Amino acid sequence: MSSVPTVLIVDDSRLSRMMIRAFITQAHPDWTIVEASNGPEALEKAATQTVDLMTIDLNMPGMDGLTLATQLQHNHPTAHIALVTANIQESVRQRAAAAGMEFIAKPVSEDSVLACLSALENRRA
Amino acid sequence: MLNLTELQRDTITELLNIGMGRAAAALSEMVSEEVALSVPSVEVLSRRDAAVLVREKGCERIVAVLQEFSGFFWGDTMLVFPEDKSLDLVHSLIKDTFPLDIMTEMEQEALMEVGNITLNACIGSIANFLQSEVSSSLPSLLRGPCEVIFGDKNGIQVDHEVVMFLRMDFALHARDMQGCVVFLVDSDAMGMLREHIDQFLSHF
Repeated sequence: MSSVPTVLIVDDSRLSRMMIRAFITQAHPDWTIVEASNGPEALEKAATQTVDLMTIDLNMPGMDGLTLATQLQHNHPTAHIALVTANIQESVRQRAAAAGMEFIAKPVSEDSVLACLSALENRRA
Repeated sequence: MLNLTELQRDTITELLNIGMGRAAAALSEMVSEEVALSVPSVEVLSRRDAAVLVREKGCERIVAVLQEFSGFFWGDTMLVFPEDKSLDLVHSLIKDTFPLDIMTEMEQEALMEVGNITLNACIGSIANFLQSEVSSSLPSLLRGPCEVIFGDKNGIQVDHEVVMFLRMDFALHARDMQGCVVFLVDSDAMGMLREHIDQFLSHF
């Protein structure tokens, strides 16, 4: 586990990545943030570094967020993963919970992102 | 006039994604089953070409619940599904508990209500996200060929008018039913939306 956490933000929406990055950077300017706009790019970037937290959009072209998260979980078993989605149906929440992932509803807010960061910090403490 | 930067287009797509997330949750509660969602799309094209895109998804004759919305931007939004599936949706809504004749009688009312709830969930969350306000008209139910419904503006056929066309498909797999929610936004309204988006983006 590295001393400064690395966060991987995966979302096909640049807006969404910008918002999550801004909320994290405001709270933790020293954290390393890596962005990916799709599943294959995320897998490629995660393969070469330790990742402590991943925020993964569900509804992306090509590989969906749950499939991606399952693959990333396999390679990064200690990482904290949050599924970020506008699809707030109960069935989606349940799938995220069953996969051991946090659920963050879009639009993300400063509060929801900070709560996710706190969960990560508690795991690292 | 109808140009969008990459970031503006991305933001509009994400707005639709967020809006449809809320709409799908509302629809899912009403029909007691999961609503599958596609990736949203944003295109600038004529009303006729927009209709062709929807028709290609198997919606030649459609039922559309239409609501006009107005406020910081304006336009038409529609919940669209194939005409031959409209009664199936009513079955889902009222849980098959009524005889067919009553169901048929209730069809129009039920479809307008489902449209009203899902479209308002979608429009409302877009407005909330941009910290603005929109209001919407009462829903109306339209039936007919896709081209005719999409090309109509207050009773006049304007099928060559170029609009910003937002679309997101949904499916109820258990009912073998699919449809979409679309927005048709004219160039003036699109200009206003762009201004709001730029203002919003300036915070990041």
